[in-house]
Amino acid sequence: MRFWEFCRRNLKETYRDPLALGFLLGFPLLFMLLFGAIFSGDTTPNYPIGVIDNDGTPVSQAFVDEALAEVPVLEVSTYEDAASAMENLKLGNISAYIIIPHGFGEQISRSWQDEEANITLEITYDESDFMATGQIISTISAVTRSFAHIEVPITINTNPIHIETEITYIDFIAPGIIIFGLLIMIPTSARIIVHDKEKGFLSRLLTTPLRPVEFISGYSLCLVVIAIAQIIIFILVGWLLGMDIVGSVGLAFLIFFLTGLCSIGIGMVVASLSKSENQAEPLCWIFAMPLAILSGCWFSVEMLPSYLRNVAYAFPYAHAIDASKAVITRGVGMEVVSNDVLFLAGWTAVIFAIGVILFRRSMRS
Amino acid sequence: MASPKVEPAKVSDGFAIQTLNLTKIFNSLVAVDSIELNIKKGELFALLGPNGAGKTTTINMLCCLLKPTGGTAKIMGYDVLKQPFKVKEIIGVSPQETIISEHLNCQENLNLIGRIHGLKARELRVRSQQLLETMGLSDRAKDQVRKFSGGMKRRLNIMMALIHSPEILFLDEPTLGLDPQARRAIWEYIIQLKGKKTILLTTHYMDEADFLADRIGIMDEGKIVALGTSTELKISILEKHTMIIYAWNLTQKVINEMRGRYEEVEVSDGTMMISDKQLDFKEIVDRLHTYGAIVRSAYIKEPTLEDVFLHVTGKELRE
Repeated sequence: MRFWEFCRRNLKETYRDPLALGFLLGFPLLFMLLFGAIFSGDTTPNYPIGVIDNDGTPVSQAFVDEALAEVPVLEVSTYEDAASAMENLKLGNISAYIIIPHGFGEQISRSWQDEEANITLEITYDESDFMATGQIISTISAVTRSFAHIEVPITINTNPIHIETEITYIDFIAPGIIIFGLLIMIPTSARIIVHDKEKGFLSRLLTTPLRPVEFISGYSLCLVVIAIAQIIIFILVGWLLGMDIVGSVGLAFLIFFLTGLCSIGIGMVVASLSKSENQAEPLCWIFAMPLAILSGCWFSVEMLPSYLRNVAYAFPYAHAIDASKAVITRGVGMEVVSNDVLFLAGWTAVIFAIGVILFRRSMRS
Repeated sequence: MASPKVEPAKVSDGFAIQTLNLTKIFNSLVAVDSIELNIKKGELFALLGPNGAGKTTTINMLCCLLKPTGGTAKIMGYDVLKQPFKVKEIIGVSPQETIISEHLNCQENLNLIGRIHGLKARELRVRSQQLLETMGLSDRAKDQVRKFSGGMKRRLNIMMALIHSPEILFLDEPTLGLDPQARRAIWEYIIQLKGKKTILLTTHYMDEADFLADRIGIMDEGKIVALGTSTELKISILEKHTMIIYAWNLTQKVINEMRGRYEEVEVSDGTMMISDKQLDFKEIVDRLHTYGAIVRSAYIKEPTLEDVFLHVTGKELRE
């Protein structure tokens, strides 16, 4: 296996160079930790909640306007019906909503007169945000008891629902950061290949019977090992920072892997087109940076005007972010992301084909 | 000067390397200008010329790195244009720049090239052990080569061309930038290979070509301007012989006598230089003694390849 021999050489060249190795593995680590630190700021939480007052008595109004509105961590907005509140909960505009049932005022009045009362509230919340909901429920319970002047716990009919779109911040940003990290495999791949080109090592090997396909597979296998190591670091650090993969880890890995492969292919094409590292590096960044911005590494593609969105979706990275987000935060399976995965795989195949053609062409000048 | 032409289609068995009108033009610069070379099997052929003469470009076309603009070449009968991979299997190349994998050790560098050429593990071990011993690198076999000296790297560069026992060996400036001791060591190794391999060597050191080569092609501005053995080349330009004599008592009488007999006689500081078409060493020494001069030493000056180069191109062969 000639390509394997060549691949081993490439790996040794990489892992025996402390600087190169440090960059390849230390960079993703630092990158994830930095983003994690930025987005896990300990600001005082402020929970938006919704209220539907089905009772409509002066007592219930007082409960909403005075008791609930006074609580500093709650931000209360009122809704006409449960349906619109539910919609806002799903959109993530509110963390929970309370339905004040008919007869709530009457029961409170009884409680005020020291009569036996049956006070009920109905809270619907998003269970995926359990830190928030725990605090919301206990806060509402405390407020209601003090409002009703009772010491015994009131009955709160909780109604947890799991809303897939409601996600923590790290879950939301991690796929974008990981894809950005894998985008950087473009300059990394190009650099490793162009270095050999510039030093004449490629020419040296071109006087041996090594074939273009073997060159490509020897380089890409080495780069694939690097990409896998990076993906593992990304996922591990992400997990340590609180990212949980709701869906299949294997599927998430597959998406990241294909993304890495795609970057390797693009890097090889750039390497075939450039003569020196000084040429390849800027060429890669000119390609990688706008792609990172367009593809939604840092903010949602939905914010882009439609023509830019079309541009973004012509490249594999926006698909990779969509698909990995869906798997990580919503736990969807292959059937949902198959189009994105196919697009990624198609791109990878095409870019590798172009790489082989360009490499073959550059073999004899 | 030019060797007899050989029909492109028929490969004469005796020739290992044949170029047919081989030409390379970069933009408008003619780097190699339709050269015709026929190098026999087992021959050590040197391309001698200044930097930029087109020697490396020629080698690069022969080892399938560069596509000729015109003409072609055959290596053991394989066309470099049509059967590049056949050619690559039977050649070994030691490039002008030292090109080795810096983070690999000596053995690993050899293994890489050996395995690419399909050498089996045992064969590879035996071959590399032999090479490491002859090249004096056995004790450094497991060291990463980035720590090597220039001479050691150079030796490894040549070893990498030899690990798979190629039939044809291209050595592009094998001793470039080495100190005299390291050069000598490499020369001795190349001498050992003579007759066993067909070697095409390029150099701009005339002593190297003189010492190593069976035949020399002098190259200038993309053309082979002179071709032959070292002696043939020197004789070809030899119109006059020159004798240098160190002697005491070189009186005016002696000088006048000699001037009467030989074409050119110059004297300065006890040294007499005699030039003529025919010179007889004994005759001159005897004659000087007869006239009373005391000869301390005398020799007939041999022309050098430098003289040949000057004669053929009108330029000095210098870097």
